[in-house]
Amino acid sequence: MDKKLEVKNLQISFRTQGGIVKAVRDISFDLYKGETLAIVGESGSGKSVTSKAIMGILAGNSIVEGGEILYDGQDLLKISEEDYHKIRGDKIAMIFQDPMSSLNPIMRVGQQLTEAMILKAKSGKKNARRAFNSMLTRLGRSINEADAEHGIDTRQLVAKQLKTFDSFCVTATNIEREFNEALGNLTQLENEADEAVLMLERDKKLDLAVTLKRIYRLYKGATNPYGLVANEEYTTSLASLSALASQGKNASREESLLVLRKISQLTKDALQKEKPNFFTMGYYLSVHPEADLTKMPIGEMNSMTREFLDKEFMLRFIETAKRGVYYSRKVSIQRKRAALKPVQEALKYFRTTKELDKKKAYAYVKKLTPMVNGAIDRLSVKKESVEYVFHSAFEGGVEAYFTGAVRNPIEERKYLSNKRRYEAAIAAGKKLDWTLKPQVVVDLELKRANICKTLENLCNCYERNIKDFKKFDSEAHVVEIIDYLKEQASCFVVKMNKKIAKAKAIKLMEEVGIPEPNRRFNQYPFEYSGGMRQRIVIAIALSANPDILICDEPTTALDVTIQAQILELINVIKRERNLSVIFITHNLGVVANMADRIAVMYAGKIVELGTAEEVFYEPAHPYTWALLSSMPDLHTSEKLESIPGTPPNMIYPPKGDAFAARNKYALEIDFELEPPMFDITDTHAAATWLLHPNAPKVEMPALIKTRIERLKKERQ
Amino acid sequence: MDNNQEKEVLLKVEHLQQYFKMGKYENKAVDDVSFEVYKGEVFGLVGESGCGKTTTGRSIIRLYDITGGSVYYKGERICAGTRKYEDAIKAAYDAHFAKEITKEELDKILEINFTKIAAAKADHKKWSRHNGKNNLTNEIQMIFQDPIASLDPRMTVRDIIAEGLIIRGIKDKEFIDQQVYKMLETVGLVQEHASRYPHEFSGGQRQRIGIARAVIMNPELIIADEPISALDVSIQAQVINLLHDLSEKMGLTILFIAHDLAVVKYFSDRIAVMYFGKIVELATSDELFAHPLHPYTRSLLSAIPLPDPITEKNRKRIVYNPILDHDYSKEGPSMREVSPGHFVYCNTEEFERYTKEIQESEQ
Repeated sequence: MDKKLEVKNLQISFRTQGGIVKAVRDISFDLYKGETLAIVGESGSGKSVTSKAIMGILAGNSIVEGGEILYDGQDLLKISEEDYHKIRGDKIAMIFQDPMSSLNPIMRVGQQLTEAMILKAKSGKKNARRAFNSMLTRLGRSINEADAEHGIDTRQLVAKQLKTFDSFCVTATNIEREFNEALGNLTQLENEADEAVLMLERDKKLDLAVTLKRIYRLYKGATNPYGLVANEEYTTSLASLSALASQGKNASREESLLVLRKISQLTKDALQKEKPNFFTMGYYLSVHPEADLTKMPIGEMNSMTREFLDKEFMLRFIETAKRGVYYSRKVSIQRKRAALKPVQEALKYFRTTKELDKKKAYAYVKKLTPMVNGAIDRLSVKKESVEYVFHSAFEGGVEAYFTGAVRNPIEERKYLSNKRRYEAAIAAGKKLDWTLKPQVVVDLELKRANICKTLENLCNCYERNIKDFKKFDSEAHVVEIIDYLKEQASCFVVKMNKKIAKAKAIKLMEEVGIPEPNRRFNQYPFEYSGGMRQRIVIAIALSANPDILICDEPTTALDVTIQAQILELINVIKRERNLSVIFITHNLGVVANMADRIAVMYAGKIVELGTAEEVFYEPAHPYTWALLSSMPDLHTSEKLESIPGTPPNMIYPPKGDAFAARNKYALEIDFELEPPMFDITDTHAAATWLLHPNAPKVEMPALIKTRIERLKKERQ
Repeated sequence: MDNNQEKEVLLKVEHLQQYFKMGKYENKAVDDVSFEVYKGEVFGLVGESGCGKTTTGRSIIRLYDITGGSVYYKGERICAGTRKYEDAIKAAYDAHFAKEITKEELDKILEINFTKIAAAKADHKKWSRHNGKNNLTNEIQMIFQDPIASLDPRMTVRDIIAEGLIIRGIKDKEFIDQQVYKMLETVGLVQEHASRYPHEFSGGQRQRIGIARAVIMNPELIIADEPISALDVSIQAQVINLLHDLSEKMGLTILFIAHDLAVVKYFSDRIAVMYFGKIVELATSDELFAHPLHPYTRSLLSAIPLPDPITEKNRKRIVYNPILDHDYSKEGPSMREVSPGHFVYCNTEEFERYTKEIQESEQ
């Protein structure tokens, strides 16, 4: 499975008046594509802090002490705020606990839904064009170099092909925009017609003349792209509508009802029809600009243009591009082979030497960074994370190590001004009641560990890449590149206007199960019930089409029936869009139907991690037992086993296992030494000394055992 | 059940109506609710948010002046609404103007209803908060949902817990301190906590303070309004256990309001399910979960999450839609006893169907 997100050794603390609170202490987990990972724990266990770190919205008093969050080849803890704008909300979206506080109470719901779409379309245009162009130039350059190696000069040919590609991509997106605008018009028409039909059917007061005129104007203005509505029907219904509209007040209600029904049916059918393939169509039209494709049925047109594109251009283009992709990969592998040895040497040096030498370490930085940067295969769409992170993690690490300070400009300035004041005062012979605090020093061991880890990852990555090179499939790579280009192209021409945004928003509202979205679109949040509000929040989160959805206790403020509805909704959306979901909750019962894997957190650490079945049927950690047994179900009659006491104060993290003080199964060693993660199966691990081979055998509480057995029986 | 008659009725709610004015319209938060709570039992009130369960609790303890109906505590009427009589008077006047009844008949109706209104008002005033002699809060206490919002942040724990005693008129400081310390120990806190402020406590401990404040008055009836909804799962168990112990030790009667059915089932003897201001089903907790009859109860039961991934993934939730599930065009519904102690809000046709279902399931 594809890894979407990797969290490695994350450590976060908060500066407070009482001292430094260690909120997250060294947690690691992966998130795969299309899976739901549930993070379960009490309040204050650090689950929300983790999710906020992923979103980059940690509070101002937070300190990220170490670790990395890798997404798409970037370390989210190290990238700039500018770069974060492209990820936050766009790629990773979040749903918060209280729907009322995440909506603006004085803005209509529809406006809140479309606001981000319109803003994003405006800003995304430039970036997409830049990415598209740079990818295309890189491809061209590498093809030329590959051909030059064989002694052929194909520069002109390649340039021509690339230009064609560029131009028909633009044509295709232009067509798509026009088509979308027409669709927007049709949706508006459908809404109006529907409403009029409803009014007429219920025999309500309706200014028929005005309504007919408005719908007639809309209908006349709505172009009929690619025969979405059969052309004869379009003209006949238009004619009958115009006849009715010209009658004005005298138009008969029955007749207009019939016509309006017909129109609403026609548009409804049209909106559900198959969409044309704009990409292939773009090429066809750029070759035959005078051709009229609007008369053809869509299916037929799609296959025709596809064949045309393949025959005339695409196959040849793929052949050419294959050469370039192969060449680029070959060069990158060669460079990687060359770089592997120095990297290994550096790793050995940083790992074994006790006292690091300043000059030597700098020499490594100078030598390695350009080598690694040069060895990146810039034509691969899937980014290998280590290579892209290397620069900041390695170079930044060494630099911070030797300057001996966190490179924070504000801190540095403060320190310098303080120093100046202090020295001036001393020079003037004053007696001071304060001393100069030393500059905040980096945790040396942590930095060294980070550097070693990066180098090690890089080594592994290089070895893997070199090994995989034999199986390299350049055709698949080319297809990937073309898909990537298509995606980028569709961003840089399609303009979002209010109409399209509204149509999209209404579709989203339907998707999340809001009845009568047309009417609801113009309401304020207070007119919605709690469950409906949470649906709107989900719709807003989905509007940017994210990869990852983080749900931070989305159902805690809702009651049982609504909770079940919202959970079902998240499940359905996850399946339809192949989303990865991080689901945060304190209630284990809630996640049973959602989660593929569950991480149980306590006092800033993951204490148990496994698939849902493993955690529910074979829980191993005493904390998981306690959580499961403190939750009554419909058959519980004995006294509940509550967890005594409260979570520890994380300003002074307890020695040994943090849960030991509340744990009735605690061993002596639990108060001395923190347990490592013991693997039970490949996917299941728990941090408790009870799993150590020398530990006494302890069974899980009888309450859970009988419950699991009973549920098993009921299932059969 | 026969032994119900032998049990002492502590609280009796009759046709309780609580309407709120919202501009032109009236919001019928609680609409004609009747039930009885026996001494020493835990009575659960379940429903989705906005169905009026909290309003019912608050009306009983007289945080609101009720619109109609009456509430009896130990046989005495402690709340009384006048809406029913006012409606009768209006109807009588209308009938008189339409010349359906004569002047004498009208006068008769007016006299009866005016005396009833006067009696209701007198009863209502007698048990007023401001009437020192018959203070209701000595006997009925409330635990609120949100322990952060319900404790005064500027008062120490001792002041919070002792406030009730002071209002009752006790001036002996030593006695008050002694009581407060005793109560703190009862709810699982220690004496040192008395001088602290609420913000220094965790959620579970705060809720314990709320419980101590209620229990120190030695009440007979406690209205617990979602006392665990705002707490973590592990803390919930602590609070439930505490309430359970207290109710056994002190013989408390508890009106337990919640939306988490699993907890209510665990905790309560009898359960009433509310939907949009009306009680739709009322039965002992075992009976209700064994034979849920009203479609809304069924939909509620089908939404309880289970700690079991495999069954959860195959679960079918029942959706309740009042328009589709009932046909009340011919005959309106009313509360009927389907089997002893099991009441359902239904009409005749549904009543017959439910009785049949019960008989079949028993065979």
